[in-house]
Amino acid sequence: MFHGEQAEMSEQEILSTLLASEIRGDLLVLFHKNPGLIDTVDGIARRIGRTTIAVISDVRELLQLGLLKQKRIGASEIVYLDRARDREILESVANHLKTVRIGREK
Amino acid sequence: MTAPRSKAGASGFDQLFSGRAEEGLRVKTGIVELDDMLRGGFMPGDAVMLAGSAGTGKTTLALQYLVNGVKLGEPGIYVTFEELPDQIYRDAKNLGWDLRKMEEADKFRVICTSPNLVLESGDDSLLDEVLRDIQPRRIVIDSLSHLEMFVKKDDMRMEAYRVIRYLKTRGVSSVLLWESPQISGGSFSITDVGLSFLVDCIVALKPVEIESSLRKALVILKMRGSDHDKRLREFEITSTGIKIESTFSNYEGIISGSPRKVASEKFMELFRGASEKHK
Repeated sequence: MFHGEQAEMSEQEILSTLLASEIRGDLLVLFHKNPGLIDTVDGIARRIGRTTIAVISDVRELLQLGLLKQKRIGASEIVYLDRARDREILESVANHLKTVRIGREK
Repeated sequence: MTAPRSKAGASGFDQLFSGRAEEGLRVKTGIVELDDMLRGGFMPGDAVMLAGSAGTGKTTLALQYLVNGVKLGEPGIYVTFEELPDQIYRDAKNLGWDLRKMEEADKFRVICTSPNLVLESGDDSLLDEVLRDIQPRRIVIDSLSHLEMFVKKDDMRMEAYRVIRYLKTRGVSSVLLWESPQISGGSFSITDVGLSFLVDCIVALKPVEIESSLRKALVILKMRGSDHDKRLREFEITSTGIKIESTFSNYEGIISGSPRKVASEKFMELFRGASEKHK
């Protein structure tokens, strides 16, 4: 379980949210490989070879999950990875997967 | 970029009390021969332009400067407008530098963004948060040339000035990369938008063709407030980074793009040839 806005989500729900679509997967890979990426949604869409319209809802989901953060820079809204939250989520998902594996082995 | 604000960690105001802007100290590049050429290193807080055409080793030299900074206890930031960080991590690893590990220790950050976002910054700067997080002493901008795509030629100098002042006010020593195809042929011009006057130091990298092979030369063209080596030095990109070698003592005309052996060397060759004939 997470603190703050995501307090009600279980690890299983977080995992489902992260893997809900192919685009979300592409976004996760992009930000994990490039944790220092700071760009507009338009720029991020371009970096994974998609359009803004195609990625907007997935970006919104990741913002709600707290994995991405948003900030206004001049006239643009920028998006970037919250490294601390990312570590927290990864740890939690890893623990969940370990529990599932142990459960299966039993 | 914006004027400095007190909420960021390393503002000029903070420096007054932290003793960061100590006089007399140099910002070492960690490349012994280059530090010797710079009489100890760059001047603290200076804006350094690292100019050169594609493939001359600007990125390698800039990364090496940051990595060596981390080893000396000075955190650094690499801002790239071109390559995605994963390429930079990979290329750095090939040179023996584990940037991800340095990031985990909060000593290093690779920031990848668009130049227009740097230019658009209003009250909040794109870099405020990361400056606060890791309190860098060094920063590399790769490259200033990319700003040109987003501003009119007439405004370029003013925008570059803003970026430089933002970093200077925070006491961060900056290395600004500049793609300069002009440093070839008969021209000594680094930029055609007057940026050479804004920076404190210019290090130029240049490929030179000598006896049908392509070699690399490094020269310090300018260094405000300090003596420096004025000679051209040959360098190589090795598996562990930049290695600076000897001067091109037997050649002249290297910067102009027409290297030729100096007269005394030609004479010596003639002399050697003649004496061999007599043997």
